[in-house]
Amino acid sequence: MRTNLLLAASLLFASSAGAAEHEGKAYIAEHGYDGPRTCETCHEGTARKFLDTVHWKHASKVSNVEGVDPRQEWGMKNRIYTFCNGNDLVNNLKEIPANEKGKTKLIGCNSCHPGNHLSDVGSTGPEAEQAIDCLVCHSSKYDYSKRRPYKTANGQVAMGQDRSAEAAMAVGKPAVKNCMTCHEGAGGGPLVKRGFAFDAEHDAHAAKGMVCVDCHKAKDHRVPTGFDPNTWANDGVRLSCADCHPGKPHKDQAYDAHLGRIACQTCHVPGAGGAVAKDFTRWTKLETGFYEPSTIVRAPSEAMPVYAWFNGTVVNQPHFIGPKGSRTDPRSKIFPFKIYEGKAYYDRKSGQLLAMDFAPPTATGNTLAGVASAARTMGLKDVQPVPGWQTIYFANSHLVTRQKALTCDKCHVPSGGRLDFQALGYSKAEIEKRRLMSASLWFDRLLEKELKKDE
Amino acid sequence: MKKLIAALTAVAALALLAAPAAARAGEKFLGKVVKIEMAGPEAKVATATLQDEAGKTVAITVQDKLTLDKFADKRITIGDDIKCKYEVKDGKNVATFFKKPGGC
Ligand code: HEC
Ligand code: HEC
Ligand code: HEC
Ligand code: HEC
Ligand code: HEC
Ligand code: HEC
Ligand code: HEC
Repeated sequence: MRTNLLLAASLLFASSAGAAEHEGKAYIAEHGYDGPRTCETCHEGTARKFLDTVHWKHASKVSNVEGVDPRQEWGMKNRIYTFCNGNDLVNNLKEIPANEKGKTKLIGCNSCHPGNHLSDVGSTGPEAEQAIDCLVCHSSKYDYSKRRPYKTANGQVAMGQDRSAEAAMAVGKPAVKNCMTCHEGAGGGPLVKRGFAFDAEHDAHAAKGMVCVDCHKAKDHRVPTGFDPNTWANDGVRLSCADCHPGKPHKDQAYDAHLGRIACQTCHVPGAGGAVAKDFTRWTKLETGFYEPSTIVRAPSEAMPVYAWFNGTVVNQPHFIGPKGSRTDPRSKIFPFKIYEGKAYYDRKSGQLLAMDFAPPTATGNTLAGVASAARTMGLKDVQPVPGWQTIYFANSHLVTRQKALTCDKCHVPSGGRLDFQALGYSKAEIEKRRLMSASLWFDRLLEKELKKDE
Repeated sequence: MKKLIAALTAVAALALLAAPAAARAGEKFLGKVVKIEMAGPEAKVATATLQDEAGKTVAITVQDKLTLDKFADKRITIGDDIKCKYEVKDGKNVATFFKKPGGC
């Protein structure tokens, strides 16, 4: 097993070094770069297939979330929840009204889309195919100053791309920064949403030189994902720690003995980061004259996760989005989550959460105008907005550590342990009988380790 | 190997000690980037000049790799709004935080 992993690691490093030059380079040097059609001379059919993925559609059919129609597609395109309160539809990229200083800007959720906005989220056909920004994910020489929203000659708002031959001649497997173009900035600024910094300081895999696509290997641009209660859209391909670390990954079998009931992340991702709470009903004014949602953010690894049973299916209610599972369900394991609380408007009559268009509040701080605009877009009549809170559980899938992984004495202690055994379904009597909150479970082995350290 | 791990742990411990101190001290500034001076894409340090609404400017010294990288490929460039925190060290305004605000 151990040798397998090392082998895998050396293979990985070989490929991520990316020494081999892209075979299309000479062709592009000669013919220039004219968007996806250039790539298609050799990679035929790639663009058409790309249009059918989550990265283009921001939606997919969703089968593990309660209360959503499994025949429809769900994702950032149309979801309403309190992390982004807007979505691609209601908070479409556009010019916002002028603020009190007479300034305006171009903002919207679908700026995190590899199209040009004229061909927008979920668009289809030959024009959409040619609008794909292949290089934002594949070029190591991308000039990001070109990837900005701008107004076309006839006043439409478009998203810029770097389509230079120079960028196209530097094509390869996506690097961390390519993926982080969008994933770092989600949720209102760098590392706000998930707070996962992917660098050697924060992540054991990054420290070994691994990049996003070493794990998120994609075929036909279908990117594998896990079961984050808050990432619904998926390309139908899943990824888990055990794909690469099957069986018994530990030298110390006491850890392996826990794998039936405790997920890897519970011990190996001891911290969470990013926003822990936001208020969308009352925005904060900046010195620039613009407003932004009031947000409280923690550094990566600084927030304490909560632990809950999770079987991969999701509770989805107006005031709660989180894991389903229980101790008695054999498919459930204990997972760590970042808890996030968001305040936004609900409809008094239906009790449903309302979405917000960010344009009005960004300019004036008037959040109710944002709700009214979103309601118009969605064709909702007579909404009566009242503030309310929603709790969301985010998966902790990155920030993996070995050195700071939870050891026996972080859980099996009389007080201050990571797990609330009773809340997780262990009765007082059982805890007593199995000594689940006692040093007697681990004293001898830790003593032995500490003595070894002192030598 | 053992030594390496010990050294790494020491570095991590230092980082832990250093981080809260850095966050506590310091000035805040919100403004537009008007100039970036950087000696090539591999430079270990850069100076970015920010200007606020009132026209006041401040030159910020940037040393962290991620931000330098963002200057190099223009993820941060002239005209961008930046939220910045810095501390004054040897007469220089050294950034402890340098990021674009907002987004969805
Ligand atoms: C003249 C032909 C040609 C052109 C044009 C071309 N490629 Fe390639 N590309 C190849 C060949 C050949 C390979 C290697 C075999 C394979 O993976 O299909 C390759 C491999 C790749 C890989 C895999 C690289 C890796 O290291 O894993 C990517 C990504 C890629 N090309 C993207 C592009 C993009 C984006 C464009 C347009 C900017 C493009 N290619 C244009 C021929 C071409
Ligand atoms: C142009 C912006 C952008 C870029 C670049 C980008 N992503 Fe995404 N990604 C998104 C958005 C937006 C979503 C959420 C879609 C949704 O939930 O509706 C997403 C979703 C995902 C998901 C979960 C859904 C799925 O398809 O499995 C994974 C995993 C993912 N991205 C990985 C990556 C990786 C790896 C890279 C780099 C190769 C990358 N992304 C580059 C915008 C981007
Ligand atoms: C959102 C990011 C993203 C965009 C945009 C994107 N790709 Fe990719 N591409 C990937 C990822 C991720 C892989 C898989 C890398 C891996 O598994 O090593 C990949 C792999 C490839 C490959 C290797 C063979 C394959 O299909 O797996 C080719 C060729 C390729 N892309 C071409 C393109 C072209 C052409 C475009 C534009 C039409 C494009 N890509 C747009 C992320 C992207
Ligand atoms: C060591 C492997 C590994 C690396 C490297 C990695 N991921 Fe992941 N990622 C995972 C796993 C495993 C999951 C799913 C976990 C689960 O749900 O059980 C995941 C989930 C995700 C998700 C879905 C939301 C979530 O947090 O669960 C996104 C988006 C994502 N990864 C993006 C990225 C990006 C962007 C990078 C690079 C900066 C990256 N990943 C690097 C293993 C990795
Ligand atoms: C794509 C394969 C892949 C996936 C998925 C993956 N890993 Fe790894 N992991 C590796 C490789 C390769 C190494 C490095 C092995 C080595 O160098 O000894 C590694 C190393 C580790 C280490 C040891 C790090 C150290 O500092 O020695 C831990 C702990 C770990 N992984 C946990 C996880 C967890 C938890 C997940 C799921 C969130 C996960 N891995 C997902 C491939 C993977
Ligand atoms: C009950 C807590 C716990 C669980 C659950 C757990 N680990 Fe670990 N794991 C640890 C600790 C603690 C270490 C560090 C051991 C050391 O350094 O002495 C470790 C070390 C490792 C290592 C490095 C090899 C070694 O033995 O030191 C890998 C790889 C690893 N874990 C992967 C995983 C994967 C994959 C899973 C899920 C299938 C997982 N772990 C589940 C606690 C756990
Ligand atoms: C993340 C918290 C966590 C860590 C770390 C952890 N455990 Fe556990 N352990 C648990 C939980 C939860 C159970 C109960 C699992 C179940 O439902 O059977 C358990 C069960 C046990 C049991 C079974 C008790 C019995 O008689 O039924 C033993 C023995 C044990 N752990 C020893 C250890 C040792 C030794 C270590 C360190 C090497 C360790 N644990 C680390 C959470 C943890």
